[in-house]
Amino acid sequence: MHGITRRDWMLAAACWTHVLRGQTSSPRFAYFDPATAGEIEAIADTIIPGDETPGAREAGVIWFIDGALAGYDKDQREIYRKGLADTERKRADLFPGSQSIAGLTSEQRITLLKAVEDTGFFVAVRRHTILGFFGHPKYGGNRHSAASRLLGIETATHFQPPFGYYDQELEK
Amino acid sequence: MSPVRYRPSDLVDFVVIGAGAAGGVVAKELATSGFQVVVLEQGPYLRAKDFTHDEVDVLFRAALINDPKKQPNTFRRTPNETAKRRQSIEYARLVGGGSVHFTANYWRFHPDDFRERSLLDAIPGADLQDWPITYDELEPYYTKAEWELGISGLAGSNPFDGPRSKPYPLPPMPVKGSGVLFERGARKLGYNPFPAPVAVLSRPYRGRSACVHCGWCEAFGCEMNAKSSTLAALLPLAESTGRCEIRPESYVRKIETGPDGRVTGAIYFDREGREMRQRARAVVLCANGAETPRLLLMSGLANSSGLVGKYLMFDGGLFAYGLYEHMLNEYKSIVVTRVLHDFYASDPKRGFYGGGGLDSRMDMYPATFALNGMPKDEPQWGAEWKRGVGRYYTHTSGILAHSSCLAVEQNSISLDPDLKDAWGLPAIRVTFRNHPDDLKAMRFLVDRQVEILQASGATKIWSDPVEEVSYSRHLMGTCRMGNDPRTSVVDRWNRAHDVRNLFIVDGSSLVTCGRQQPTETIQALAYRAAEHMAESARRGEI
Repeated sequence: MHGITRRDWMLAAACWTHVLRGQTSSPRFAYFDPATAGEIEAIADTIIPGDETPGAREAGVIWFIDGALAGYDKDQREIYRKGLADTERKRADLFPGSQSIAGLTSEQRITLLKAVEDTGFFVAVRRHTILGFFGHPKYGGNRHSAASRLLGIETATHFQPPFGYYDQELEK
Repeated sequence: MSPVRYRPSDLVDFVVIGAGAAGGVVAKELATSGFQVVVLEQGPYLRAKDFTHDEVDVLFRAALINDPKKQPNTFRRTPNETAKRRQSIEYARLVGGGSVHFTANYWRFHPDDFRERSLLDAIPGADLQDWPITYDELEPYYTKAEWELGISGLAGSNPFDGPRSKPYPLPPMPVKGSGVLFERGARKLGYNPFPAPVAVLSRPYRGRSACVHCGWCEAFGCEMNAKSSTLAALLPLAESTGRCEIRPESYVRKIETGPDGRVTGAIYFDREGREMRQRARAVVLCANGAETPRLLLMSGLANSSGLVGKYLMFDGGLFAYGLYEHMLNEYKSIVVTRVLHDFYASDPKRGFYGGGGLDSRMDMYPATFALNGMPKDEPQWGAEWKRGVGRYYTHTSGILAHSSCLAVEQNSISLDPDLKDAWGLPAIRVTFRNHPDDLKAMRFLVDRQVEILQASGATKIWSDPVEEVSYSRHLMGTCRMGNDPRTSVVDRWNRAHDVRNLFIVDGSSLVTCGRQQPTETIQALAYRAAEHMAESARRGEI
């Protein structure tokens, strides 16, 4: 039998991750300008903040969002453009004198996002943040095994029973 | 033997449109019976090695299904509304079709499913009818499907199942935490849970390897060939005859008819968008309960009854979830390991038609769970969400109810007058509103789900709201089977009443939808119809 084996596939995935990680040193977005990327990344990192495990920034979620808006989800660009502009106005209302979302304290960012969390823009950024964080690393996010560390799950591709506590208990 | 290649100008015996759960069966049966077959499939021809665990691509970018960006549809509740663009149907779009990406629940319909009208009488506001065939007539083909495809299960464990001529070929899959808890709760309440019959190999079977419990069954293709799809189990047999060509990326726009009213072949766009014409002595339409009526309507064919596209039945049912003290790790292995049919039959004492089958499952992948899995009273983003989501992901179990959906004439697939797909063809327009009894059945079932979760020791329970269905992966009823050409589209052998050399074999011929999980019934009908086609063709009666 020929063709690509599971092991080949895993190796290929690992190489991809390696290549993409290399990109962090020379960031070049396909869609965003750096300032917009900084604002979106600040929102993403408030949706999934870093603590003992990586947050959205460390997981490279912005690269996923950039790729999505450059490609499959390019029909969502207007939601981002208008939504970010509205959110910046909201920021200026709530925090006079502030210059950017990225420049807010984390408490201020949480206050801002709670004020816009019912908007289509926030729903879109949350969706992309989560897809980038939990999706395949080949899209630029989910670096440093961010998703499996957050969820506390094993990443093997073959498992054997028992799978958890209750089926193990039954076997005893 | 390398697969045969026909020229479109060759007059082959059969063109099969759609290489899915039904088309795969029909192609294999006809080719091994000695007939020349061309299978036209709109999706790509992926092999086991092409399947991935890429949740973004498969679940959020329509890698294996109809892509809403290329194949949009419109939706409305009733015929007097103007339909608006809203994705409401989903089907697998690749060689092997839904049998590749389905969850792999493999249930037979019950004997009473075929005679509910006689048992229950008419239902106001619906058109409940008996099937023109009985369970006993279909039973040999249920058995054939189970043995040819490779089904794991325990015969006799479901006290509500009809009689069986043979057990399952493979023992049940190992039970998961969700199954253990479901069984515990259900037994405490006096119900009869049983090991799920599934189209996944618990042991090696006919040259295919057993499941390795990777956990990526539902919506994904199996890279081990352990899921018993037509792609894994049947199409290789069809191709090895040297008489069957599977032609992927072939998007059929019309079934052609000659001056005598008989069909002469199919016109399709190839992968480069060129229009091609495959000639055939007979056509078998297996394009699913939405695309099949659309193609008939685009072709102006087989519709003397006016019922093509009508009686659309949708997938119904709700989730209820429970949080437990210990880890379940539902992300491992197959989705469903325990099922319960105690509420399957319609019981007039409840005051409404219908019922449902329940199964144990928590079937959300990581991104899907992170997006939608947390109960609504928990934070949905931020530090607190992040601290909770992992615990919920590994400690949650669920029960899915598969509930009844009555056939209502105005629920339908039709051609949208304005919207076109990426090929310039009329988009599908869906008209669908649940019969009130559908919603009553859902409410009844969600109460049963919650009871079982409580009895199983869940520390917290939450469920989906009961509401009108507007999205379905099961597309049924739109070319109804019957004896009377005035009230049905196909006869008891899945042959179009109006056109002797046109057969329609997929979810569209279902008269009732059982309690969802229609794949085994669709495949049993396909085996039965294909046998009839082969015999008729040999006798020169097509």
